[in-house]
Amino acid sequence: MKPRNMGLILAALVLLAGLPWYGSDLLIQFGINALLLAVLAQGWNIIGGYTGYASFGNSVFYGLGSYGVAIAMVQWHLPFGIGMGFGVVLAVVFAVLIGVPVLRLKGHYFAIATLALAAVMTAIVSNVGLAGQNIGLVLPPLNDDRLFYELSLGLLTITTLTIWALTHSRFGFGLIAIRENEEGAAVMGVNTTLYKVTAFALSGIFSALAGGIHAYWITFLDPDSAFDLTLNVKMIIMAVFGGPGTVFGPIVGALSLSAVSEFLSSEVTSIAGLFFGVVIVAAVVLMPRGLADLLRRGRKMGWGYFAENIRRHRL
Amino acid sequence: MKPLLEVRHATRKFAGLVALKDVSFTLAPGEILGLIGPNGAGKTTVINLISGTLKPSAGEIVFRNEIINRLPAFRRARLGIGRTFQIMQPFPGLSVLENVAIGALFGRDGGHAKLATAREYARECLEFVGLDNFIDKRADELGGPGRKRLELAKALAMQPQVLLCDEVMAGLNHVEIDEVIYIIRKVRDRGISVLVIEHVIKAIMSLSDRLLVLHHGEKIAEGEPDAVLEDPVVIEAYLGKRRS
Repeated sequence: MKPRNMGLILAALVLLAGLPWYGSDLLIQFGINALLLAVLAQGWNIIGGYTGYASFGNSVFYGLGSYGVAIAMVQWHLPFGIGMGFGVVLAVVFAVLIGVPVLRLKGHYFAIATLALAAVMTAIVSNVGLAGQNIGLVLPPLNDDRLFYELSLGLLTITTLTIWALTHSRFGFGLIAIRENEEGAAVMGVNTTLYKVTAFALSGIFSALAGGIHAYWITFLDPDSAFDLTLNVKMIIMAVFGGPGTVFGPIVGALSLSAVSEFLSSEVTSIAGLFFGVVIVAAVVLMPRGLADLLRRGRKMGWGYFAENIRRHRL
Repeated sequence: MKPLLEVRHATRKFAGLVALKDVSFTLAPGEILGLIGPNGAGKTTVINLISGTLKPSAGEIVFRNEIINRLPAFRRARLGIGRTFQIMQPFPGLSVLENVAIGALFGRDGGHAKLATAREYARECLEFVGLDNFIDKRADELGGPGRKRLELAKALAMQPQVLLCDEVMAGLNHVEIDEVIYIIRKVRDRGISVLVIEHVIKAIMSLSDRLLVLHHGEKIAEGEPDAVLEDPVVIEAYLGKRRS
C-alpha cells in the first residue's frame, strides 16, 4: 500500500476513534449502529463479494451471535467475553452444517436456499426455552456507549485487516478463483468445498461478533429482531453500493448509506423510505460495481462513466 | 517403460447414452498421444474422466500406479494432472498474470505458497507461451488465440506431469497452429506427458508419437500416426463406407 493512503487510513481511524470525546450522544449512537452495519457488510463481503455467493443467511450468524451473548449472560451468568465466544462457536457450527449442503448450489439457487434460513431460525428459537422462547431475553444493562462504540470500531478494524490479509493470501486468491470460475478453479487444484465453507464460516464469525455487541448494547433480544431478513438486505446493499470484493468499499458503503438514511429519516420523516429506495435504484443503474469502481474508473472517464454503465446494462 | 497414466476399460454413460465404451490406453512419461475422432466420439469425455470433472460409470483411471477414480478434481490437479478446456475457462475479471498465478498458487503438490514466487513463476509460464506482452490485460479482453495460449499457460503453471489439451488449436490460423505445436513440443521436452485432442489432422500427425482413434465412444484404432490414418476402419469412420 502507498504510504500516502496508509496515512489517510490511519488519520481516518484516529478521527473515528476519538469521536466519543468530541461527538454528541446521538452521534455516538449513530456511530455504533453504522459501525456494526459496516462489520456486517464486510462479513458479507467475504462470502458474497470475494467468493461470489450472495448469501441471505448472514443475518442468522448475527442472530446466533446475539443469542450466544444473551444466553451466556442471562441464563448462565457468564461474562460478556465468553458469551461472544459462545456466539462465534454457534455461528461456525451453523456455517459448517448448513454450508456443506447449501454451498453446492449456485447463483440464484444458493440465494433462495439461504433466504429461508432466517425464517427457520426464528421458528426454532421461538420454541427453545433456554433462549426465552418468543418472549426473548433481557440482558443486564451496561450504560457505556463509549465502550460499545470503541468495541464496534475495534471489531470493524479487525474485520477489515482480515480481509486485507485475505487479498494478499493464497486462500483469498482461491476464493476469487471460485467467484470467477468455479469449475476452472477446481481443476487447477483449489479445494472448492473447503474454501467456500471456510469463507462462509469466516463471514459468520464477524457477523456473530457484531450481533453479540449489538445485543449487549440494546439489552433486549427476541427472535424477530435477531433473525431479521431486512438486516441481511441492508448489508448486501451497503456492500454492493460501496464495492463488493474490495477491502474498503463495504465500509464506505455502510457509513455513507447509514448517514443518508439517518439524514432522510430526520428531515423528511414520512417519505424517507422512498428517498432511500431512489438512492439505491440510482446507484444500481449508474454505478452497478459500487463506489470503489466509480473512484477507480470514473475519475478517468468523467460523466461518460455513467452513460457507459447505462448502455452496457441495456437500461 | 512403466506408463504414467493408464485408462482401463473406462465407460461413461449419460442417462441412456453411452458416451464412452470400454476404452483402454496408456500414456508413457514424456509421450505425446494424439486423440482424434469425429464429433461426438467421446474425446472430451476421456479428458473429463482423467481430470476428474466426470467420474467413470465403470473402469479405472490409474495415475502413477494409483487408482484415482474417486478423487475429486482438485486432488488430481495436486497429483500433477493439468488440463485445458475446449470452451476456454479463464477467470474473466482477473488479469492475465493473476489467471496464471492461480495455477502456480495451487496445482501440483499445492503449488507455490507465496504470492510473490507464484507471480514470478506465472510470468515465466506466460513468456513460455508467448503472452508476456499481455500480462496486465484482463483475461476477457484477450482474443481467441490469446485465450488458447492463456489456457495452456494456466495449466503449465500448475507444474503438471500430464497435460491434457482439449482442442488448443481450434480456430487458429496456420502460423498460430505452428506456434502452438512448437509450444507443446517444448512442454514435452520438459518431460511432461501430453494428451492432445485435435481436429486439425495435419497438426496432430506431426505432433503425436502415437494416435488413438475414437468413434461412437469406442476405440477403433491405436498406433503409429501414419499407420492409423491408413487403417480402413478409420477412413470409414471419417468418410463413410465406400460404395462398391
